[in-house]
Parts: sequence; structure tokens; C-alpha cells
Amino acid sequence: MNTSLTGWLLDIYPNENDLTLWVIAEDGQRRCLHQDFVPTLYVDGPDARLRKLWKWLSHQPVPVRLQRTKRIDVFKTISTGFTLPTGGPDQQRLISVLGVDVLRPASLDALFRSMVNAFPDLIYYDADISLALRHAAAFGLFPLAYCRLQLDGDRVLDITPLDTPWDIEPQPAPLRILTLEPDCDPAHGEPQELIVSHDRARYCLSLHRHRSLLVSLAAILHRYDPDLLLTSWGDTWLLPFLLEASRKSGLELPLNRDAGQSVLEHKAHTYFSYGQIVFRGRQTQLRGRWHLDRHNAVLWRDYGLEGVLEMARVTRQPVQDAARLSPGTGISAMQFVTALQNGILIPWHKHQAETPKTAMGLLRADTGGIVYQPTVGLHRDVGGIDFVSMYPGIMVRFNISPEVPRASQDLEPSSGEPGIVPLTLAPLLNKRLALKSALLDLHRYDCRRPLYTSLASAHKWLLVTCFGYLGYKNARFGRIEAHEAVTAYGREALMRAKEAAEDQDYKILHMYVDGLWVQKPGCRTPSDFDALLSDIMERTGLPISLDGVYRWVVFLPSRQDARVPVPNRYFGVFQDGTVKVRGIEARRHDTPPYIKETQLKILEILSHAPDADQLGQELPEAQSYARSRQETLRRGDVPVEDLLVSLKLSRELDEYSSPSPAARAAQQLQEIGKTVSPGQKVRFLFTLGKPGVHAWDVPEPPDLCSIDLRRYNTLFERAANAVLVPIQQSVHGALDRQGRNLYLIPPPASYVPLRDPVALAAGV
Amino acid sequence: MGRTLPSATQAFLQEEAAFARFRRALRRTDQLALDDLFASSRQHLAAAQLASHALPFEVFMLSMLLEEHKEVLRLRQMLEEHLARQE
Repeated sequence: MNTSLTGWLLDIYPNENDLTLWVIAEDGQRRCLHQDFVPTLYVDGPDARLRKLWKWLSHQPVPVRLQRTKRIDVFKTISTGFTLPTGGPDQQRLISVLGVDVLRPASLDALFRSMVNAFPDLIYYDADISLALRHAAAFGLFPLAYCRLQLDGDRVLDITPLDTPWDIEPQPAPLRILTLEPDCDPAHGEPQELIVSHDRARYCLSLHRHRSLLVSLAAILHRYDPDLLLTSWGDTWLLPFLLEASRKSGLELPLNRDAGQSVLEHKAHTYFSYGQIVFRGRQTQLRGRWHLDRHNAVLWRDYGLEGVLEMARVTRQPVQDAARLSPGTGISAMQFVTALQNGILIPWHKHQAETPKTAMGLLRADTGGIVYQPTVGLHRDVGGIDFVSMYPGIMVRFNISPEVPRASQDLEPSSGEPGIVPLTLAPLLNKRLALKSALLDLHRYDCRRPLYTSLASAHKWLLVTCFGYLGYKNARFGRIEAHEAVTAYGREALMRAKEAAEDQDYKILHMYVDGLWVQKPGCRTPSDFDALLSDIMERTGLPISLDGVYRWVVFLPSRQDARVPVPNRYFGVFQDGTVKVRGIEARRHDTPPYIKETQLKILEILSHAPDADQLGQELPEAQSYARSRQETLRRGDVPVEDLLVSLKLSRELDEYSSPSPAARAAQQLQEIGKTVSPGQKVRFLFTLGKPGVHAWDVPEPPDLCSIDLRRYNTLFERAANAVLVPIQQSVHGALDRQGRNLYLIPPPASYVPLRDPVALAAGV
Repeated sequence: MGRTLPSATQAFLQEEAAFARFRRALRRTDQLALDDLFASSRQHLAAAQLASHALPFEVFMLSMLLEEHKEVLRLRQMLEEHLARQE
């Protein structure tokens, strides 16, 4: 009997014969459904080899359906020469391939692997795309999609999505969340209790009595039947611990909602990305419900659960993957869905190489964004203006995509149909712009504000990485020329913005890739900058917005040489009193919390001055605050946790020639049998004597008398002075009579004035 | 008749054009100062022609330096006269 059901899509994964779907029905039921689904992969090669493959496939245990078909390979025109042959680009791109429908979806990976082993010379397309993505592309679905299903019993006949990932406020799914948290960090000490909570209920279960722990937990899981297990250290410690306990005692623990499936475990690994070593802990994934580990989710601190769910919705990856994979994988997933929906083949391996370039061409092309040297010192009434999502905006506005030939001039749209990259990014960019403008209109205390902010932050990461992936050699839809085009257009846009500002008599204090800091006497309210913004928009065709007007902003010189300005070390206060800091100690991860707090508090005190002229009145308070904090530190009255320094290990321990403090701390951990991999963070205290550090995660507590307070004092002074000294200089005498900013960089201590050459010759 | 070497004026214009991208990225006040520098080296094109240096830009730079030094000397003299009057 056919019925229909409306609800939210929770989970999709393959089982023995077809796909399992979990749906939260509108009446609150959690339904386990099944759907037939046939994934297809495509193969290209000489006819004789394809005929052999055909024969080989018909003898495999996995049932397949084969057909010859025509699909689009967007790189065809590029990989076979650089001029377009006659017949139009679309004719050229259409290639004849062998389509392989795999009738048992779960066997797709295994079949593909043996196919590659037997026929390594053929070109494979759409081969390694996950079933979740294929299903999402086929039905226009995504995790937590609100959809209508046509059912025959438990079998899904059809699914229609009722919303899209691009809705700003989708139908909220009634998720049941169960939180599991040990009472302390298992890397640091031995947890005694497990705190289990949902809604208003809260239980403390002893971790020592395994039997009662498992029985109670199973009862809670049964009774509450959560959709999401939200844990702390669940991937790395808690779930493996629980599974082990359950295996040992023979008591079943229904972590999975789908009893027929086993819990998925992935090992820990370390990889290198964007010049940084990244460590991913082991993972434990569930079936029928989700498991998210707050401490093993990418960017959890930046955007929380809402951001993770948003990431899953827009990238169409399963929630448990979306939480643990980098935004780069998310962008790839989005491009795959666009390709699948448009009948464009996704190459298994990329075949096109970089086009040959002359040395001069490379010199010109291989430049990043423009980074200026700011005018060092304190400046008042400064407008901070930013291009809105500049690089993705360029890709969408000017149709930059690996397969689209670049326009002959900078900042001109490429001709032809929109490419894969702009097609993929346009809805995401629009959603971000819509969120941003909604945020501008929301009241400061509107309850939607945090939600919108975390959604926007999730998008930000996707949009940031989409640019990197355009030039990434392993990205399926990446090509270095497209990457270079984006930076070239970005530089041109910033140049035009600078010219627009200077034409309107603004002084350029600083420029940084997609932002400018400009100043003009008399311009102190947001509306004063409107004319400039619209002029820039007209000259570049890109949206630009006012980040805010600073009451004052300080650009700092380099710490090594006070005469050299550095591009990204500044702090300032906007007109609404919010503080913005970049590059100073408070933003650095290796600054102890006590020092970070002090620096931010000093800035907060300074931010009470309604304008730069009245900074002098706030300065004494800021100074005395800094002094009292320093005194507290000298007396050793600071909680020891607030002095923790946490640093990432950049390589294997035996690769250090002279071990850094972090490496020495890691050494201590290794000596007690804890493994530390590159990319992992090590927390430690500076101590007196050798080895100078005390790793926080060794069991014995640090000797409080041995803490190197002098070293902490140096760090403290450096941080406090970074913000106080420029203000002091500008308040005391660095302003001339007209109130113009004359704060000059002080000469270095070793500065020797040049002597008169005549006197020098006379030996005076 | 063709020339084997470009004339000093040609070389100067080429060098100046080669710095167009550099000039564009400067703050406007700095652009004006740079224009002054190029203008000052233009005053010695004839000398540059006679020098037929393999790297013409070195000559142009020396010309800039020359004009700068002349300016320093002039200012020094002015300052000394000023100080002498005050005494």
C-alpha cells in the first residue's frame, strides 16, 4: 500500500542490497526505510580494451548493467591542446564512454578497486564519489532536508525535497541530543565519572563500575532514543572505552540505532596542509544516529553545532563526515554534486598539467594578493573597508573556473556558460550575503544573531578554501591558471579601489589583500564613506562594504626592528566600542591565558575613551591595571592553568636538532608512554632549570616553586607594552599643535648619528 | 638608418614604463615623489647618451642621486646662512 511521509532526512548509508534511510517523521517517529539506488561509474579508453572490460565485468559476482553513452568531460578541450577545434566547445567536450551501473551499491568500492587492478590503463570517471553524495545529487537532497517521501511499506519509492540548503531559516528538525562528558580531560588525568545529560535531565555515572555504567547508559539510550550523541573526547577516548567495556562484559550497548550495523572506527592520522601540520584523532561513527565529538570536530570552536549542521547541509556530506572533514573536502563535495547534476564527468585522476609558461609569464602570474606596509602609529577616524568575500566573488562575477578560458583583460567576465566553480559557489555566496545583510538589520540582542553568525562563519571557511582548492594540484576541478586569474583580478580590484580613494582625497593607511584602511579629515561617520564605496563598486564591479569606522587604530611595527612596519599587527576600537585586534599576543594561540586576558582588558579600558583625544584620560587606569596584574604575577598569585602555553608540534620528536620547548614537553609525555604526533598540541609550563618546561599532561602535578616567573614576566611585559607604548607615545607629546598624528617610530637603542666627515678626517 | 642602441630618451621611457606597475602600487604622495625623481634624472639624458652604459638604469639612478645631492647641498647652505644670521 502506498503512503506518504513528511519529515527530515537524518542518515543515509548502504546496507547489503540497497540504501538505508533514517527519517525523523513529523509526528516524532524515527523511521528506518530502504531505497533502491543504482550508482554509475564511467570508463573511457580504446574500444578493444572497453570490450574486454565489458566481458570481464559480466563475469564478476557483482551484478552490473552496461551501456555506451555520451557524457561531458569539461577538460577535454584543455588536455588535447589549447585552441578550440571547430564544432564548438560543447561538441568537443562530449565524449563516448562506457557506463557501469552497479546494482548492489555497497559493492561499488570493491568492484572499482578490482577493476582498476585488472585494467589500470583505462580512464575512470565518477568512480570514488560517496553514495551519500550520489544520492544527494540524484534527488536534490542534503542532511536534515525537509522532504516528502512516497512509501510502499518500508520501501521508498520517491523523495521530493521541500526546502533547499540555501534557505536561511529552514524548518528546524526536532533533534534529540544526548550529551556525554567525562569529568576531566582523559589526556590529562583519569576521569572518574561520566556526565550524561539531555533536556533537563542529568546523570552522573561512575566510570569504575562497568556493569552498572553500561546498564544505565543502555537504559538511557533506550528511553530517550537520541538522534545525536554529543560527546567530549568521544572519538579519541570515551566511545572506544565504552565499546571495549561492553565487549569485555558481554553487555550490549545500543550506541547504533541500526542494530544490524557495526560501529565504524577510523584511525588517527597526521597530514600537511597550507604549510601547517594537522592532526586528526581517531574517529568513531554511528549508524542511524550521529556521534559528534566536540574536541575532534573541525572548527567546532568557531561555529559549534549549528555550523556543523550548516556545513553538512550546504556540502551535502553526511553530518558525521562534515563535522570531521576539512572545509576543502566540503568544497570538493559541492563541486561533485554540481558536476553530477549537470552530467559532467568527475575524473578519478586529474589528467591536465599546468600549461607551459615563460619565465616572465611566471614572474607576473605567480603573485598573491597585495599586502601593503601600513603607516605605523596611531590614527584617528579611520574607515576600514572590505571587499565582501572577494575571491569567491571574483570567481562568480567574472566566471572563473578551471575549464573556462580566461578573459583577455583583468576584471572582465569570461565569455560562455558559467563554469563548475561559479555554478557551485553562486548560491553559497548569495546565502552568505543574505545572512550578512540580515545580520546588519538585526538588533544587537536578537536571538537569531548567534545562529546567523555561526552559519556565516561556516560559509566563510568554505569560501576561503574554495580559492585554495582552485590551485590545488590534487583538486579534481582545480587549475593553477584559474587560481592565478583570481589573484590577478584581486590585485587589480584593490589597485582600482586605492585609486578611487586617492581621487577622493583619502589617505591610504594600509591595504591588505581585500581590505583598505582610509582616512580623510572630516570623515567620521559611516555615511561619509558612501560616495567612496559606490565609486569603488562602480570601478571594480565587486561588492564592497564598510567594516566600520575606527575611533582610532594602531598599526604596529615589527618586534625585531621598530622601523619596519608589519602588515598584520594592529588593534583599534570601532565607533560602537568594539575592539578589533590582529596579530598581537591576544590573538596568538601560544600566549598564556593570563597574559591574553590582561592585554584584552587593557584594550577594553582604552575603548572607553569616546575618541582618540580622550585616550589620555583612560591611560592611567589601563596602566595601573597592567601594573596590578604584573604584581599579581610576580607574587605568583595566578592559577597555574592560566599560565599554560600550548604549542603545536611541527615534526616528529627525533627530527628536532635543538628541541623547542614544545618538543621538550612532548619528550616528557613520551617518557611516560603517551604518544604525541606532529600536529598535536602540547600544553606545558615554563619552569626553572633543565629542561625548562613541565608538560601539563604528565600525571604528577608541577612543582609550583619551580615555575619560571621571570620568563612569564617577560612575556607579560611584551604583551602589555605592545598595546600601551603606542598609546603613551601618542598621548604624551607625539601629537603636534594641530592635533595631527605625529607619532614617529622611536630610533633603535643602537642608533649612532652620522658624524661630520670633516671632523672624522680631523680625528675629532 | 637604424640604430644599434636605443637612444637615451628611448631607454629612459622604457625604464620608466617598466616601473609603471611599481608606481601604481605606491601611495599617491609617494607616486608624486617618484615622478620628481624620474624628472630629475631626465635632466641628464644627454650625459647618459654620452655614457652609453650597458645598464642605462644605473646612469638614470646616478642622475637622480646627483640631483638629490645638489638639493642637499643647497639646503645645507641655506641652513648655515640662516644660523649665521641668527648668531
